[in-house]
Amino acid sequence: MNELLAFADVDFGYGERTIVSDLTMTVTRDACIALIGPNGVGKTTLLRLAAGTLRPRAGEVRLHGQPLASLRQRTIARSVALVPQDVAVPFPFTVEQFVRQGRTPYLGLFGGFDRDDRDAVERALDLTDTARLRSRIFNQLSGGERQRARIALGLAQNPQLLLLDEPTQHLDIGRQMEVMELIRQLAAQGIAIVATTHDLALIEDTFSSVWVLAPDRPLEHGPPRHILRSELLEEVFHCPPRRGSLLREPLLVRREAMQ
Amino acid sequence: MSLHMALLLAFLLLVIVVATSVGAVAIPAGVLLRSLAGRGPLTEAERTILFTIRLPRILAAAMVGSALSVSGLLFQGLFRNPLADPYVIGSSGGAVLGASLGVFLLPPVSVAGFGTSALLAFGGAIGSIFLVYALASVKGRTPVVPLLLAGFAVSTMLSYSSYFLEVLDRDFGTGMRVLTSWLHGTIVQPTWPQLAIIGLMLGAGLCACAPLAHRLNTLALGEEYAAHLGLHVQQTRVAVIVVGSLLTAAAVALGGLISFVGLIVPHVMRMLLGPDHVRLLPFTAVGGAVFLLIADTAARTVVAPAELPVGVLTACLGGPFFLYLLRKAKTEAFL
Repeated sequence: MNELLAFADVDFGYGERTIVSDLTMTVTRDACIALIGPNGVGKTTLLRLAAGTLRPRAGEVRLHGQPLASLRQRTIARSVALVPQDVAVPFPFTVEQFVRQGRTPYLGLFGGFDRDDRDAVERALDLTDTARLRSRIFNQLSGGERQRARIALGLAQNPQLLLLDEPTQHLDIGRQMEVMELIRQLAAQGIAIVATTHDLALIEDTFSSVWVLAPDRPLEHGPPRHILRSELLEEVFHCPPRRGSLLREPLLVRREAMQ
Repeated sequence: MSLHMALLLAFLLLVIVVATSVGAVAIPAGVLLRSLAGRGPLTEAERTILFTIRLPRILAAAMVGSALSVSGLLFQGLFRNPLADPYVIGSSGGAVLGASLGVFLLPPVSVAGFGTSALLAFGGAIGSIFLVYALASVKGRTPVVPLLLAGFAVSTMLSYSSYFLEVLDRDFGTGMRVLTSWLHGTIVQPTWPQLAIIGLMLGAGLCACAPLAHRLNTLALGEEYAAHLGLHVQQTRVAVIVVGSLLTAAAVALGGLISFVGLIVPHVMRMLLGPDHVRLLPFTAVGGAVFLLIADTAARTVVAPAELPVGVLTACLGGPFFLYLLRKAKTEAFL
């Protein structure tokens, strides 16, 4: 069985508002999924359900077949890492001090680091190419560097599943492509990935599957070529009438075209 | 132990020797050291000054400084805000009100005369922190403006409502004198049993900080993220409030409302050593002792034989520093 994380009849909402209902989906060990949908539809909520920080109203989310509700958060955080959109750090932590926080689910009473902890931090810094930034102040990094440091914190958790919330937000096209390259590398390392994104043009080269979350309709999913169709996207994103295709130009800039 | 720590401890020792020798009656450091070495005993008067007046006062100042600084460090970590300190956010005010209730209303049924007051100070400190936290937090964060406003309001309210207790004062004057010195921030002349109680509170508080320090680092990422990483946010928060209030109460019982120490010392240490709470904790504890010992020694010598409340000195030093930080905070996005 190749199943890593499973949503089983999951129902969740805030008060009257339903975000997902009867959601049944599986994330396999080799998944590389882009989660798209209009603003405010609940993409981040779905990631939080997967990370165990939100509990479904009905149904359950299972990790390796075990309901998240029956697992301690420490246990979940050793397998599933959620990298939030933005992390506000009130103190001038260095990148290394920041990334070390990813070891929290492994630490004992006094928070001492052992060899495994140090190795995991080094590996995370190397994978994200942030080792040379280790002594820089996290708050003073550029947007792209900060995103890589955030991903490094998630990798320090040593996860099998990495949940990325808008990893390319506020980045220029070059930095966006760096992040996508990093995602491809991590996927090649055997880490399953679910990333929310609004950069539809960058999906096809990186992700093997797309989930579309939209209000009042069941979750659509499939390979990028099947999902990234103008009719579906225009409907889901409520695009105003326009001439030409939504994807071809100027939205979808193929990599070949840029090189 | 690192070299830096050794240096700081050596400096503390030096400050203690200097503080012991200066005062209304000077005991030259040479005489002190000779008597320590067992050669050239002190006169009877010198012994009395040393053991009933000066040493207790020095220990009290060091302990108050240490307790205030560490509770400042804890509150800054908890509120994720470098401007928090026991005075600014009202826990000192709560402690003073609690302690005054003890002095004015309750019979002194306690060990060494102020056991009940210390206990009530602890209760007052905890109560006021929970109140400020509830008033100032927005979705698990405590932005600077609501925090300072709530802290200021609660702090003023609590410390000045202590004045109402004046009308209940049965023996006209003694209680009021105690209260006034508390509100000005004066280190009392403690007895050895009193020092023992406060020493125990400080010791217990510092030990309890050891498992909290690395959790404050994680908490700095925000409560939601910390919870995702498996930190028990609620437990950690309550533990930090209880320990911080214990330390505040210990400080207030001996020194009353001494402002800004809990702000300045952790800040200076953070500038020198970086923001890692595990590293900051021991340095803040010792640095706080050094800082307030110097300030208190100055307070009792600069206008000798009269004495300034040490709170006056720390306010004059701390006020401008606080304004500087506020100004800096405006230009730096990470508040």
